[in-house]
Amino acid sequence: MLKKNTEETMIKSLAAGLVLALMALPAHAVGVPENYPPSYKAMLAAAEKEGKVVIYSNTEQFAVNPVLDAFQAAFPNIKLDYVEIKSSELYNRFVSEASAGALQGDVIWSSSMDLQFKLLDEGFAQAYASPEKAALPAWAVYKDLGYGTTFEPAAFIYNKRVLQEAAVPKSHAALAKYLSDNAASLQGKVGTYDPQKSGLGYFLYSQDLRNGTVLWDIAKGLGQTKARQYSATGNMLEKVASGEHLLAYNVVGSYALLKAKSDPSMGVVIPNDYAVVMTRIAFVPKDAKRPNAAKVFLDFVLSKAGQEVIANKASLFSIRQDVEGEATAAKLTRELGSAIKPVAINAELLDLLEPTKRLPFFKKWQGLIEGK
Amino acid sequence: MATALAAVPGGRDLWRVAIIATGAAAILAPVALVVYQSFLSAPFFSARARFSLDGYAFVLADEDFWVAGLNSVILAASMVAIAVPVGAALAYLVVRTDLPARRALETLVLVPLFVSPMVLAFGYVVSLGPVGFLTTAYESVLGAAPWNIYSMLATALIVALTHVPHVYLYVAAALRLVPSDSEEAARVAGAGPGRTALTVTLPMVLPSIGVGAVLVFFLGFELFGLPYVLGDPEGRLVLSTYLYKLTTRLGTPSYQLMAVVVVAIMVVTLPLVTLQRLVTAQARRYATVRGKAVRARLVPLGRWRWLAFAAIMLWLVAVVIVPLAGITLRSVVSSWGLGVNLADVLTLRNYAAIDSMRGVGRSIVNTALIATFGAALSVAAYAAFTLATHRWPGWFSRVFDYLVLLPRAMPGIVAGLAIFWLFLFVAPLKPLLNTLASIWLAYTLVWMPFGLRLVSNAVGQIGEELEDAARVAGAGPGRVARDVVLPLARHGLLASWLLTFLLFAREYSTGIYLIGPGSEVMGAMLVSLWSAGNIDVVSALSVINTVMIALGIAIALRLGIALDE
Amino acid sequence: MNDPSGRPEPPALAVDDLRVRLGSNEILRGVSYAVRPGRIAALLGRSGSGKTTLLRCVAGLETPTAGSIAIGETQVFDAGRGIDVPTERRNLGLVFQSYALWPHKTVFDNVAYGLRVRGAARADIEARVAEVLQGVGLGALGARFPHQLSGGQQQRVALARAFAYGPPVILLDEPLSNLDAKLREESRIWVRGLIKRLGLTAVFVTHDQVEAMAIADEVVLIEEGRIVQAGTPQQLYDEPATLFVAEFMGSNNVLHGRIAERRAGDACLDLGGLRLWGRDRSAAPAGATGTAVIRLDRVAVLERTGDNCLPGELESSVFLGERWESLFAVAGQPMRVFHQAPLAPGERFVHLPPEAVWIF
Repeated sequence: MLKKNTEETMIKSLAAGLVLALMALPAHAVGVPENYPPSYKAMLAAAEKEGKVVIYSNTEQFAVNPVLDAFQAAFPNIKLDYVEIKSSELYNRFVSEASAGALQGDVIWSSSMDLQFKLLDEGFAQAYASPEKAALPAWAVYKDLGYGTTFEPAAFIYNKRVLQEAAVPKSHAALAKYLSDNAASLQGKVGTYDPQKSGLGYFLYSQDLRNGTVLWDIAKGLGQTKARQYSATGNMLEKVASGEHLLAYNVVGSYALLKAKSDPSMGVVIPNDYAVVMTRIAFVPKDAKRPNAAKVFLDFVLSKAGQEVIANKASLFSIRQDVEGEATAAKLTRELGSAIKPVAINAELLDLLEPTKRLPFFKKWQGLIEGK
Repeated sequence: MATALAAVPGGRDLWRVAIIATGAAAILAPVALVVYQSFLSAPFFSARARFSLDGYAFVLADEDFWVAGLNSVILAASMVAIAVPVGAALAYLVVRTDLPARRALETLVLVPLFVSPMVLAFGYVVSLGPVGFLTTAYESVLGAAPWNIYSMLATALIVALTHVPHVYLYVAAALRLVPSDSEEAARVAGAGPGRTALTVTLPMVLPSIGVGAVLVFFLGFELFGLPYVLGDPEGRLVLSTYLYKLTTRLGTPSYQLMAVVVVAIMVVTLPLVTLQRLVTAQARRYATVRGKAVRARLVPLGRWRWLAFAAIMLWLVAVVIVPLAGITLRSVVSSWGLGVNLADVLTLRNYAAIDSMRGVGRSIVNTALIATFGAALSVAAYAAFTLATHRWPGWFSRVFDYLVLLPRAMPGIVAGLAIFWLFLFVAPLKPLLNTLASIWLAYTLVWMPFGLRLVSNAVGQIGEELEDAARVAGAGPGRVARDVVLPLARHGLLASWLLTFLLFAREYSTGIYLIGPGSEVMGAMLVSLWSAGNIDVVSALSVINTVMIALGIAIALRLGIALDE
Repeated sequence: MNDPSGRPEPPALAVDDLRVRLGSNEILRGVSYAVRPGRIAALLGRSGSGKTTLLRCVAGLETPTAGSIAIGETQVFDAGRGIDVPTERRNLGLVFQSYALWPHKTVFDNVAYGLRVRGAARADIEARVAEVLQGVGLGALGARFPHQLSGGQQQRVALARAFAYGPPVILLDEPLSNLDAKLREESRIWVRGLIKRLGLTAVFVTHDQVEAMAIADEVVLIEEGRIVQAGTPQQLYDEPATLFVAEFMGSNNVLHGRIAERRAGDACLDLGGLRLWGRDRSAAPAGATGTAVIRLDRVAVLERTGDNCLPGELESSVFLGERWESLFAVAGQPMRVFHQAPLAPGERFVHLPPEAVWIF
């Protein structure tokens, strides 16, 4: 009788041991978080079979590299190809390739919210309910088609060597007054986006207008200081860092913070009356050649691990509230509370692409900037 | 002996027609696409596209377009007004006179060709911008600097002076073939070196000067990098940057508007080809040579010798040393400008950062490949076109003169975009899209007028009897090309290869739409890095790009290849 | 001349009613001529006469607008039948005026080229080229490049290259014009000797009548695209058909007057009262203007009048080394006379033997 019991126990222990052992085995790779559904394994296996994922994005290299490296480390069997293309060219490239049936990109990830939304609206994206959906704010998910991945505020940047931190205006109204009061000494030393040449610039100004009319006061001040307008963020960052300009308005805070890490002369102020926050939208196209790998990448970017890299290494500002660090939504929300004005991913974005809305804005803007 | 063969006059020339037709197709396809697009209301591949003149209406009614057009004309005109006389004078000084250090100068004067215009523009901002190294140095000693690097005048001067080598190349090649006796006759009659140059020698090479002037004028309309970097701060547009602006102005990229601008540029620049042909035909009576380079006696400059040398050095400093110094300095500092002590910020970090960049290694390799093998292939294509139209009287040859210049009438960005679309929508070409093949085609088309000209000049110098003698001895056209024409045009072929190498290695705007994973090139990488703001890495990469090019030239010189022999 | 089987041999080169028109310019206006095998023919004429165009048409480097060209039995061009054999298949040799030696090839390679194109075996090429170079006296210079040779040597290489592959006819375009005067005289003999020794048929173009007479078996004088007279050198020199031929072929004295009388093949020219008899070559009626032509070396100066003598006034005399030349005014027109001894002052008469005078 004892023998039978021992056998049973042995078998039970073996079985238990096996089950435990199986449970302890990682799901094929390191990166998949625990709360993912079991069906994820199958998708992951399919992704690894695809072996590669091609990202079309306008996020510049040095910001995004940590994210890409982290992904590669987490999923060594999915080779990553990152193609950096400027936002308008990205739109063109994607639409041309999709129309010709020769789409190379598997994930389309761009900071140009209006153009991205247009693509979502025109049915270029495939619906995918990411397991990370729940951790994102509602306004950052559009019908499971597109996901906001970052939380980037528009900031003022200034040259720390020349301007004292205390003297730099901290709100939009203060900035308008600062420009106007110091017009004489700021002649030619202020920069901002040219809304006609920079889609991002126009976007930020129109978001400003949703938060009041102080933009026009600032525009007047820019006119009085004979401010220079630019099409590229980089140009402004460089000119402020070198001291050619002392101040620049409405620069993407993430890039500024990243530069500040390596250049101590770069100062960044996130305005406290209201701060427009934009998000980089990512989606998986309907015709993607490697949809599974694309989805794995998308999930990684939205996961806690990915967002931590986004916040702390890439300075792109994480969108998840459960990530802590210098460049995080959590910190911003704590510090600025209701002044944070994130731009929701919805159909209002399409208005921004209307020439009937753009052209009058340009006219008024240009008039004020030229001091008329 | 074989009995009489009934010869078909057209059949003999079939190979010519085949080559020219292929070339014409490659040239006309992107151009036709762009012209077609200009008459549509939406991108041509969109279902919503309809025939419409709205594009023309919008652009022609847009004040910015006319202002940009005027600026382009001013720049192009100043390029011709300055670069042509300076280039011709330089060619005369280096080739015909006893200028000191002539041998070294022959290479040095071509150095501005090595440097990408983006890099140049950049370098000027770093050196002579409002907080540039030289500006701050000047201001600390002499007070406010009198120059504004962002002014139209500065842009016009920089653009003109950096295009001197383009004119120099063609004029120098022609000057080498002019025998001395005309000059000696003038000197005996009492004319000094300057007067001789102006009234005797240079008029004899008028066709080459004309060619240089037309090419430089074309380039003036195509200019992108320099006006982009230097014009942005004051909001000054030229046609190519206006075109670039149209990619965002109306929200979604407006290709039909871009296409209209290209058509406008073509309308302005193509009649120049007619002008150039008139000048060349007129000056056929100046033809002096039958295929032999003459050992001309040097014109003594007397007391002007060192003055001329100093002037040339000054030009080199202004056009090469100043911007390159700027860019090199920027590449080894972590920050610069007001209040920065240079000694504190020296670092090699920017070069190290290149190492961690994605695709940089590949871009360097790709650029090297395209600039060496790709350029060789392009020269082969140019040689084929030259041979096909060589000594073939008829309307097709004349038409080809215009065809060759067509792609250059498009700013590089649009040319690249058109090629991108072609490769995308023409089925047999699709698999080649993200490869170097598409980039190679775009580059070959866009720089054809330059590379082809060097080959056709060399081939044109070969005496007709040398070819006739081979035909009489029994050689068909292919053999004549192989045994007589190509060997005797060797120098021209190599020169064309070298020039094409230079142009490909520093090309930046044409590839923007064509690069993909695996087909990155350095120039396009520089542009995207720059717009993202990594000026430090851009500087380091630019230095590497320039060094690569200089190395290539040094190797070529070692091998005895020269650009203007 | 018949070939071994007894059939009459076709001419080595036959040109029939060849016309060339360029725009509104008629360069050749119907030229017909045949060259028999083994003969040397000279196409003689002024620049612009069309002689070079004719040569180039034969070579296939220019295309006539009408007419036909046959080389031996092969029709290489026939405008009416649409035949136009390309240059490279006509199997001719051509010596260019500028020699057109390929500067990037050695002398050997220049000469061997035609053989190589015809696919001859390497050993055969070497043997043949050596033989040919030996034949022109340049045996040791095969490895040199053209620019290392003298003008005379280059000419010989050009010649060697032209006949190395044994073409039935070789063409020469002003073969001696690039040589200096002394070399030209030596070359004349040498070129004719070489062509005859090799048994070649040759057609050459020249503007120099002396050269034409020295080298050629037959001379074809061309003017304004037409053949004016063709014949042996003696025929053209001694029996010119027109005034133009007479003036072209030698150095002459020319007197203008009126045709006064005709008698049995002779004509009399009235020079303002003076009468001059000569051979009648004129078709004009009595009373019309005529021209008397006599070779310079046939005129003599006498102290007494005689048959066909005209009084002359001495205007100037020059000593030329081998002889004296004096300029006389005869009936108000200039005449040049040669003589050995200087002339003493006094009355002079210029004697023109009537058989040496042509009246046109």
